[in-house]
Amino acid sequence: MTAPERAGNGTPLFSVRGIHKSFGMNQVLKGIDLDLMPGEVLSLIGGNGAGKSTLMKIIMGIYTHDSGRLSIRGEEVILNRPSAALAKGIYMVPQEPLLFPNMNVEENITIGFSRSKAELHRELAETMAEIGWNLDLTRKANSLSIAEQQLVEILRGILRHAQILILDEPTSALTFDEVKSLFKVVQDLRAKGIGIIYITHRLAEVFEISDTVAIMRDGAITIHGPVADFTREDLVKGLLPPDTTKAVHQEKAGTARAADRKGDPVLELRDFSGYGFSGVNLKVYPGEILGVAGVVGAGRTEMATTIFGMDKALGGRVLVDGKDITGKPTRQVIAAGLNYVPEDRHLNGLFKICDVAANTTSAGLFGRKLGRCFLDRRREYEITEQYIQNFRTKVTGHEQLAGSLSGGNQQKIVIGRSLATEPRIVILDEPTRGIDAAARGDVYRIIHQLRGQGVSILLISSDMEEIVDLADRAVTMYQGRINAEFQQENINQDALMAAAFGILEGEAKRA
Amino acid sequence: MKTWFNRLRKGPNFSWNAFLVLLLVMEFVIFGSANQKFLRPALLLTSANDFLPVCMISIFVTFVMITGGIDIQVSSIVGLTSIVVGVAWQDFGLNIWAAVALAVIVAALCGALSGFFIAYCGVQAMVVTLGGSFLYSGLALLVSTLSSTESYQGISGFPDPFKQITKYKLFGAVPLQIVIFLVLLAIAYLLLHRTKYGRRVYLVGVNPQAARYSGVNTCRVIMSTYILSAVSAAVAGVVMTSYLGTAKSDLGGNLTMNIITACVLGGTLSTGGKGSIIGTGLASIAIGLLRFGMPLCFKVNTQYLDIPIGVLLLVVVVGRSLAGNPAVIAKFGRLRAGRKGKKEQAAA
Amino acid sequence: MTRMKSVLKARETTSFIFLAALFLLVGVINPSFLTMGNISACFNTSVVYTLVAVGMAFAVFVGEIDVSVGSNLGFVATVVGCLLRDGANWAYAFGVGIVIGALVGLFNGWGVAVMKVPSLIFTLGTNGILRGLMYIYTGGAWVENLPKSFKDFSSVTLIGSFTVYYCCAVALVAGIHIILTRTRRGRYFIAVGDNAGGAELVGIPAVRTKVLAYVICGVLSAVAGIIFCSRIGFVTSASGNGYEMKAVAACVLGGISLSGGVGSVIGSAIGAVIMASISYLLVFMGFSSNYDNAITGIILITIVVIDALMQRRSAVRNRHARLAARTAGEGEEVSAK
Repeated sequence: MTAPERAGNGTPLFSVRGIHKSFGMNQVLKGIDLDLMPGEVLSLIGGNGAGKSTLMKIIMGIYTHDSGRLSIRGEEVILNRPSAALAKGIYMVPQEPLLFPNMNVEENITIGFSRSKAELHRELAETMAEIGWNLDLTRKANSLSIAEQQLVEILRGILRHAQILILDEPTSALTFDEVKSLFKVVQDLRAKGIGIIYITHRLAEVFEISDTVAIMRDGAITIHGPVADFTREDLVKGLLPPDTTKAVHQEKAGTARAADRKGDPVLELRDFSGYGFSGVNLKVYPGEILGVAGVVGAGRTEMATTIFGMDKALGGRVLVDGKDITGKPTRQVIAAGLNYVPEDRHLNGLFKICDVAANTTSAGLFGRKLGRCFLDRRREYEITEQYIQNFRTKVTGHEQLAGSLSGGNQQKIVIGRSLATEPRIVILDEPTRGIDAAARGDVYRIIHQLRGQGVSILLISSDMEEIVDLADRAVTMYQGRINAEFQQENINQDALMAAAFGILEGEAKRA
Repeated sequence: MKTWFNRLRKGPNFSWNAFLVLLLVMEFVIFGSANQKFLRPALLLTSANDFLPVCMISIFVTFVMITGGIDIQVSSIVGLTSIVVGVAWQDFGLNIWAAVALAVIVAALCGALSGFFIAYCGVQAMVVTLGGSFLYSGLALLVSTLSSTESYQGISGFPDPFKQITKYKLFGAVPLQIVIFLVLLAIAYLLLHRTKYGRRVYLVGVNPQAARYSGVNTCRVIMSTYILSAVSAAVAGVVMTSYLGTAKSDLGGNLTMNIITACVLGGTLSTGGKGSIIGTGLASIAIGLLRFGMPLCFKVNTQYLDIPIGVLLLVVVVGRSLAGNPAVIAKFGRLRAGRKGKKEQAAA
Repeated sequence: MTRMKSVLKARETTSFIFLAALFLLVGVINPSFLTMGNISACFNTSVVYTLVAVGMAFAVFVGEIDVSVGSNLGFVATVVGCLLRDGANWAYAFGVGIVIGALVGLFNGWGVAVMKVPSLIFTLGTNGILRGLMYIYTGGAWVENLPKSFKDFSSVTLIGSFTVYYCCAVALVAGIHIILTRTRRGRYFIAVGDNAGGAELVGIPAVRTKVLAYVICGVLSAVAGIIFCSRIGFVTSASGNGYEMKAVAACVLGGISLSGGVGSVIGSAIGAVIMASISYLLVFMGFSSNYDNAITGIILITIVVIDALMQRRSAVRNRHARLAARTAGEGEEVSAK
């Protein structure tokens, strides 16, 4: 890639200075500085929770920042509404395009303009000819592929004369050919002098498409500079916390028993395929914590929900304790001894306007435990009390509504719900996302406690540190397949991170 | 005593139910002071006949609304039940009780059909039950043509035991249909608030996705609530037929608004997940007393009664929307904080 | 060519074909049906339904519903009827009726869009209030003795045997359709119902659009009320009862999705003709009008169930295709390595 024209006037197209943002006590952005030159493609990388999306929402005017400045061509701007950002020429192509599914392409692009339709149509045709795109303007948006929807979003941006285009993980749902054509578009736009912020999880793309790269970790920028100055290893290092020492986990090494891998596995996946993942082979042994690392969209959640009977399995088998549960309804999966703590606790986990007791026992309503027909309230309270005590959940009583708890306590309730069915194996999907440090510690304690009781755990996490801390064994998933396996002594953040980003080197490669 | 009260206080929707009780008391005070006749137990109990069908149905429509649905077909099922009882008894020569059983089964099937489309095909409840209200009232009309009696006349001359359903007075004062209502109320209360089934109904309404992740068969639960509401409509239909002494296909025609109002006034959240049997029961009685008291005490034409009920419905929903609005809450919070601040200043 | 294709693909075309097939079917069973007089009668009787259904379509476009249209129609018919009976000027009476309709719409729009009350419940309340007001206004009496010229105007024909009213309604629907599809702001209604979040992001005022949709709905119901008054010649306290249900049914039959964002006013107009002619057609097919409701219900339920199943299938298929693309991409990259 050629370096951008950094010569000439040094005024950046867009610059961000000292942006701070906190949500309550949680400091999400800790002083972000970024510059974007005209015709520059800046790749922004960062793990989940690094603050990328918060930064982008500030730039788009959806959130307001606590302190710091935003300026366009050296002039300070105030972006407090999405429309203000639009007016200043900033346009973001979201990961999931927000199109009007029942309108055609042209209507989707031209809606919301105050210019005449004929004028817009002409400009649209010109723009498309200029970039060399061929998109049928009369097609309905719901018939478009994700790649095409992204093109529509990009056209929306161009027609609004956007000078700063933000692409949020545009390739996460694209096929190989679609990625190629998208890159060509990015090149064309760069040639027109548009500045592009390109958010991605794929390090390979960084080197292919961008001029400069910035890495965010924990609300700050750790690496920023021309792509040519870095190697992949540098980037992986930038994604990791500074003190990735191996000494951290000594106490765990002491307590960890070698899981009995000679016995029968509690959970076994044989060539398991479904929508979003394929050909997965896995074994989880009694009392073992198996970490599943990967980036968002790698197919881990899809795998878990398909095991749990939420989606159709396409091939292979799932065995719990040797019993085939492939494609069984959720209720039977739970009865077989497997439970799942969903990633999105608000959508799939929590009954917000129900009390804590109802939440805790919700997965145990079948069977005889809570009475045959009438609900055994006393038993329900006992179970709830047990989990409140064990998990040190801070509640005022069983009657407190789950929606009024803090994030960490909500998560404990959701975990308690799954454990109340006394499973042999639990799949924890991102169990510590969005909760504070203290609650995180409690969740870790719960996980250790479970392992002590002989419950197996499949730990899905995008937080590599978490996997290193907890897992007895780990695998990484990359684009729907398991691409590496690590024994406990080999689990370290570098290797996990590299494999999660699809880079297989050194000892990880033998998997 | 105190623990009992505490338990009640922690029960579902206590503060709202307290408000409803207050509303009822106010109705008694206002209507009673306007016209002494209102307070005569005999008259009051007889008046119940006119609004009991609404009470019976609305406590079961509450189930539907808690799952986040709505049922506007119940009123047509009332007519269907009535005419099926009449035709099966008079023209098919069935025993009257067999005819009643047949009618209840037909109603349950109607509810199941609509419930199936809503739960398993994912069609909006509003649309299906709208179609259902056409279909079942149409069916009622067709059933009425099977009879030798002209449909506008209605089928009458039912045997005495059937009429006794509404003529018999327990302890010489309480009409049997009030007892039927209380039994239904007790069943609904136990079912919704005391059984595992009732818990599932709530869970499905609060968060259907999470309910699925808890292994609840959401489709089956949703469908069952429509069967319940249809059966309650059938019971109401039988009671109305017995009370009026005639079976007609258009019985129960305009109950829909009263039923929905009773549910909403009773504290049921139309988006699902919240509601209580006691609340709906109290609200339906409050509406019934309103319908009885306004004409009696203030000479309000019965035809005008849609206005106070409509106003009541709107005031409740708008009020609740205001109470749930963060801007309003913030304003009140500030007012309260301001007052507190002033108090503290004064104290200092 | 593409235009031809898009016309063929449009949902209202299906409704139109359904209507034509219905007419043909009746014609085959009973050839005496297929006369100009009968067919135009089907269209002429549908004029009130058409207007109410087009109004309802606006509420449905933005993803809401308005069940107060029936009593709105009845109330306006009552007021206009009384004014005309008492010798008021036509223009004045019509003006009053339309203003009432607009105010009712504004009230509904406020409750639904601003106060965020679920539309079914709010408009159900409005429905009750209006119905009660109707009784108060007339004291329960029928509004009769309307000016003969006003009543006779309903049978004046303009083109062939189509009445002035129907021709005006067609012109109105065509005009609305052009505004909705060809103008910038016209598209807003569909956009808000299609994807309210996305609409806000491209700068469409969602709340204002919804309120406007309700006002239009109210005004069209009011116009329908005036025509109702003229066609029927008298107004009872039950006039307009059940029109809300028929209007929703007409929208659904016309291919409008009740979840918002899909359909056209032409569709709802065609749906209204189907709704209005079912009882007429049944007579020609030798059925009694007793079958009216049952058949309406069956058609309605069948259509919405098929529609919902098809939509759900396409949604699931899209999701699966997207997820499958993720794994497929990996496969190729691996092979490239």
